[in-house]
Amino acid sequence: MNDIALVTGGANGIGRAVSLKLASMGIIVAVADWDEKSADDTCAAIRSRGGNAESFRVDVTRAADVREVVAAVIQRHGRIDILANIAGGSIHRKRIEELSWSEWKEVVDINLKGTFLFCREAASIMIRQKRGRIVNTASNYGVTGSALRTPYSAAKAGIIGFSKSLALELAPHGILVNVVAPGPTDTPRVMANWTPELRKKREEEIPLGRTGRPDDLAEAFRFLCSDESAWMTGQTLHVNGGLVMP
Amino acid sequence: MRLREKIAVVTGGAQGIGRAVALGLAREGANIVVADLQADKAKAVVEEARAAGVESLAVETDVSREDSVKNLAEQTLNRFDRVDILINDAGIFPQARVAEMAEEDWDRVLDVNLGGNFLCCRAFVPSMRARKSGRVISIASGIAHTGAVSGAHYAASKAGIIGFIKALARELGPDGITANAICPSIIDTALPRGHRSAEEMKERLLRNPLGHVMQPEDLVGAVLFLASDAAAYITGQAVNVNCGTVMI
Repeated sequence: MNDIALVTGGANGIGRAVSLKLASMGIIVAVADWDEKSADDTCAAIRSRGGNAESFRVDVTRAADVREVVAAVIQRHGRIDILANIAGGSIHRKRIEELSWSEWKEVVDINLKGTFLFCREAASIMIRQKRGRIVNTASNYGVTGSALRTPYSAAKAGIIGFSKSLALELAPHGILVNVVAPGPTDTPRVMANWTPELRKKREEEIPLGRTGRPDDLAEAFRFLCSDESAWMTGQTLHVNGGLVMP
Repeated sequence: MRLREKIAVVTGGAQGIGRAVALGLAREGANIVVADLQADKAKAVVEEARAAGVESLAVETDVSREDSVKNLAEQTLNRFDRVDILINDAGIFPQARVAEMAEEDWDRVLDVNLGGNFLCCRAFVPSMRARKSGRVISIASGIAHTGAVSGAHYAASKAGIIGFIKALARELGPDGITANAICPSIIDTALPRGHRSAEEMKERLLRNPLGHVMQPEDLVGAVLFLASDAAAYITGQAVNVNCGTVMI
């Protein structure tokens, strides 16, 4: 019987790479994203490679949307074995005195609240199953901070703390919860903001001399969803070429 | 087989975690050098590795001695002409409170646990640099994060491994070599069993969120991941494999 994975933010960038990687392992992937077209494209790419996937439109900040998507996956497949919360982004880059309350909330809700809402729905399902893997996405900025990214850094640090607590709650049920923290990664969104000079400066700071590729992150998700990590929970795996070593 | 034809050196490879890791690497196709003071046990691991279909060599080694590590490097490079993976697992954990600790006990623990990492990396890194490729994986400990009564020297050495690995990762990054540490929690091996009763051991082993008695084999998955191409972008990290006992 194939495992079922629900990947939020699964349409583009790291989420797309994770969706493709999990599907290549024979896992059935539910690609949940607010970008319907890209989610459909990702599913088509998966199917063209012999995999099995379907797309779901979701606003991760809306509890009703999240409940609907999870219910739809359960109705089709009866279970969720893997939840990968990847939906997120830094969105606003502003000094704190220029940030509005709504801008703060937007970033924190998309990154942290969305992770909470999906984990809440999946947790009760995985508890009934007595098995499951949850992998949430933080960022190196959740550990180091970043100027002009106070809400993003707070949200990503929050994901680390949240995931540790959830790991403790779900451990007695055999469910593992871990975090992947990417460094600068060549996703379309990030690359749209790089200038050649900025990119070069960044690469010079990274011991391995290059920015990350979405597939580097996909491999980390694969590891944390596999038997190889059967005794890891509450941990944050930093995938950043050595840029940050907490 | 992810590691076919790779050459791996495993210090402390004769028993416990080192043995499990050596055999795990062999099952993925790596040829293994088992470096340990316990020559007979090392030879037994070599036989098991050969039965798995790889080439293997045992070298009696005291990782705290320059001449012994030099001999290990010579024998390895004469036999295999390169090293792709270095697993630093050799370590000791005698018990003493700081106020009563003899200087020679401090020196011994630091020289074996941490000094051994330095000597072995120094010996094998040139081979990795020459091919701009390689993996260094050091077995630290959760005690690096938490400390331990009667284990200040051990905690210092294991925390030192983490700092050493971070610096090494920065030095070797430009050559495409990654260096990482794995921090296990207490595992059912001879080392922690040495100073505990059976009941104490069982209680201690079960005291984790997953309620699992960790075995040496439980670390193999993380080692194989870090040794493989899949982890090419992970370096300078301390990966905690501990059933959730410590969450950094």
